Amino acid sequence: MGPRGREPQGGEPPGDLGASLQLLRLCSPALPIGAYSYSQGLEWAVEAGWVSDEEGAGQWLMGLLRFSWTYLEVPLMARLHQAWRDGSQPAVRRWNAFLLASRESAEMQAAELNMGQALARLLADLGSAEAQAWSGRAQTSLAAMFALAALSGGIGQGQACAGYLWTLAEGLVSAALKLVPLGQTAGQRLLNRACQAIPQALSVGLSLEDGEIGYMAPGLAMASALHETQRTRLFRS
Amino acid sequence: MGMRQGNAMSAPPEGEGWHASLELGLRLREGRTVLVHNRHQGPLMVQRPFYPEGEQGCHLYILHPPGGVVAGDMLRVSASLAEGARALLTTPAAGKVYRSHGPQAAVEQTLAVATGAVLEWLPLETIVYDQARAHLRTRVNLAPGAAFLGWEIICLGLPAAGQAFRAGQVRQDLEVWRAGQPLLLERGRYQGGSPVLAAPWGLGGFWVSGTMLATGGGPALLAEVRARVASAGLPGRFAATLVSGLIVCRYLGWEAEAARGCFLRAWEVLRPQVAGQTARPPRVWGQ
Repeated sequence: MGPRGREPQGGEPPGDLGASLQLLRLCSPALPIGAYSYSQGLEWAVEAGWVSDEEGAGQWLMGLLRFSWTYLEVPLMARLHQAWRDGSQPAVRRWNAFLLASRESAEMQAAELNMGQALARLLADLGSAEAQAWSGRAQTSLAAMFALAALSGGIGQGQACAGYLWTLAEGLVSAALKLVPLGQTAGQRLLNRACQAIPQALSVGLSLEDGEIGYMAPGLAMASALHETQRTRLFRS
Repeated sequence: MGMRQGNAMSAPPEGEGWHASLELGLRLREGRTVLVHNRHQGPLMVQRPFYPEGEQGCHLYILHPPGGVVAGDMLRVSASLAEGARALLTTPAAGKVYRSHGPQAAVEQTLAVATGAVLEWLPLETIVYDQARAHLRTRVNLAPGAAFLGWEIICLGLPAAGQAFRAGQVRQDLEVWRAGQPLLLERGRYQGGSPVLAAPWGLGGFWVSGTMLATGGGPALLAEVRARVASAGLPGRFAATLVSGLIVCRYLGWEAEAARGCFLRAWEVLRPQVAGQTARPPRVWGQ
């Protein structure tokens, strides 16, 4: 037991620590939504020789992070978080539909919907009435459910966006380890680069007006469409 | 096409952009699609409808005599098809966006298609010159049961003529909505010097890109589109997918003609399904 005043407090952890722990739980690869089965176009990019080493995988990752995710995922996660906080179902539906219509291919849309459905069911099983209403709907995006889970865990808007980018980066890097393939140390180097770039992605993405949201990455869109007919596949996107 | 001021590359003084607009309304009357509304302001117009495929559907050629847009110009096209109307809209020449030292040029195209109507939107490519600044927007509003088949092709710079896209910037929005819900939202952003131009996830070093869309898609039709385009062996990259019932084809390459070649092959497969007609390229393209 340490000196008085430094004893751990009983009961609930302080608010920010509680939220940080919830963020770790939400972003953990152990979250049972099947995130490990999607490669975000990388499987085709490797097959076609567009990505063949750590440098190429880093370009794919950093490109998506600095452009696609900055202009699409960040502002939409922020708006979905806000919509849940305001209790505005029309706003949740609006931004959920915007996100789904921004998915460039059948597989990327399916990834969003499959993971969205899985997270909606999980949250519903954990007692979320809001998630219950969305589970079983045909148009439930992962982003909408992630935003709801974040808000329920007391996670603020900026932290939710950062965590969401982290899960995207981690999913892509774990696919790269298998596909390129890369060693664990290379994977950590890539994730470290992502960590350093996430603050800038948030700063740009959170400052966008509604009319500026969205980013079409043609090569990513085509890689994902071509992946649909790729003969041998480990991943579902 | 005429050239403005005799010199296509010279911009008017800042703030003197031309604003031009064209509104078209088409309606089915006694089995014939009629151009019931045709209003234009400034140098943007259609002359008369053509009926090369029978009375039910008409072809319209959108003319823009200046031949291109410069800083501060604003072009607006809106076309609206009432129930059962059928139309094919195209352009006889490539659109051009010239370089700007200041304000952005804007091109805004809004296409509304009612239930049972069929719109084909097949413009030639838009060439965005180096140092141009442009926002190109195309929004398709579909009613339930409306059919649409169309494409947008852009060329960034004219690298074959030694004019790479080094300092221009363009935003290209392509949106399809049905009954107020978005089906597909594409927001392209291309800026000279940006990694997007060379990176494999971006344009991959290509400078011609295009997207083609068709309603009424399914897996069998998608497979047929892929097979037909692959068998043509045209240069560049082509991919097709199915998103929210739309067949979405994308192209990257070096020549607008090859982009159009791929999309025409896809059109041959899609047109009989979507528009109930066999595909014959519009005569205005001079093929």
